[in-house]
Amino acid sequence: MTADDPQRWFSTLGEPLGEAERADIDAYLAGLGIGPSLPTLLVESWTQAGSLTRSPAGSWWDIEEAERTRLEKLANLDPSDPEWLTTTDALHGAAALAAVRAGVADPGLVRAAAGAAAYATYQFRLTRAAKASPDHPFMRKYALFCGGRWPLGVYGERFAIF
Amino acid sequence: MATHPEVKTAEDFRKQPAEYQEAVKKILVSHAINELYGAQVFDEPAIKFAPTPYAKWLTCRVAMEEYHHHVRFRGLADDVGVPGERMDTRNKKPLSIFEFPMKSWEEFCVIKLLADLAEILQVEDLLHCSYIPLRNVARTTMPEEKFHAQFGRDFCSELIKTPEGKVKVQDAIDRYFPYLPAFFGAAHSKNNEMFRKYGLKQRKNEEMRADYLARVKDLLDSLGLRMPKIPAAA
Repeated sequence: MTADDPQRWFSTLGEPLGEAERADIDAYLAGLGIGPSLPTLLVESWTQAGSLTRSPAGSWWDIEEAERTRLEKLANLDPSDPEWLTTTDALHGAAALAAVRAGVADPGLVRAAAGAAAYATYQFRLTRAAKASPDHPFMRKYALFCGGRWPLGVYGERFAIF
Repeated sequence: MATHPEVKTAEDFRKQPAEYQEAVKKILVSHAINELYGAQVFDEPAIKFAPTPYAKWLTCRVAMEEYHHHVRFRGLADDVGVPGERMDTRNKKPLSIFEFPMKSWEEFCVIKLLADLAEILQVEDLLHCSYIPLRNVARTTMPEEKFHAQFGRDFCSELIKTPEGKVKVQDAIDRYFPYLPAFFGAAHSKNNEMFRKYGLKQRKNEEMRADYLARVKDLLDSLGLRMPKIPAAA
């Protein structure tokens, strides 16, 4: 499971969720200790995703960051690794392509999507380097990205996914 | 205008006078180091200050782009035989603009607004550079630098919509701006003279600084913000 097929990223935005995706969401939330019982908000457009993610970051972000910090004590990655940067550029390309297909021309929102994908990929690589469990929440979030989704986080007691 | 013939490849580079080679190396090292410092001390740490997931992810992408700029300049430097140690931030004292102790989202937005504009001027000066690989990297880098400065403008515009936000942004400008005029180097610089002799750069440091100050004045006026007084020595 790697980002080596970036064309697949952002390719199923807004589509109905499948069982495997619901399982990944539940495992991701449970892994962060947020609880798998949160209702899911299926975001259907780039505009809605942009609007939602401009709300203040909730505690889920802090929980993810605490876990990232913990993992960084176990493993270290070079953020200027050229191979990694090439991957992040490919993810940017995938986000841009998906936005164009949806008739969206907002370079800031495309970069935010690309940044979310890059961050999830970084968390995945970090989790793997730290030899964490394959069921680690960062692994499950990464699986959602690999499947073409953009997990947006928790907003108003709902987990939002595009 | 360039007074030196165009140098199209790293192989051609090795046939140039030693002084030309050293001049190119100095520019490459400077850009490679500055891009890396910027990403390390401002862009990456700013993710935690960003108030929303949108701003955090956008900042993350900007940090990636700044790291990539470093890699592009370092790649050119590698091609012409610059030792890696010369581009390691642990071995070189940073420029003063990187010594600013950033502690808030407002400060980061001001850094993008003002420091990335300064970087745009530096990259603009390389767009007609006689060393073609460097010219090409400058052209590739420019759209991203412009986006980063626009990022600063957009978020500062958002922040100054409230009186408290405007006070914080102005305060950040007042404290950060004094670091910036020195970014363009000393007047009557020998290095700059050499860069212009070989068509690597087009303008004197003092000309670039004057242009920058004029652009900052226009920019801040357009936002209803005030440009601080410049230290006399700048």
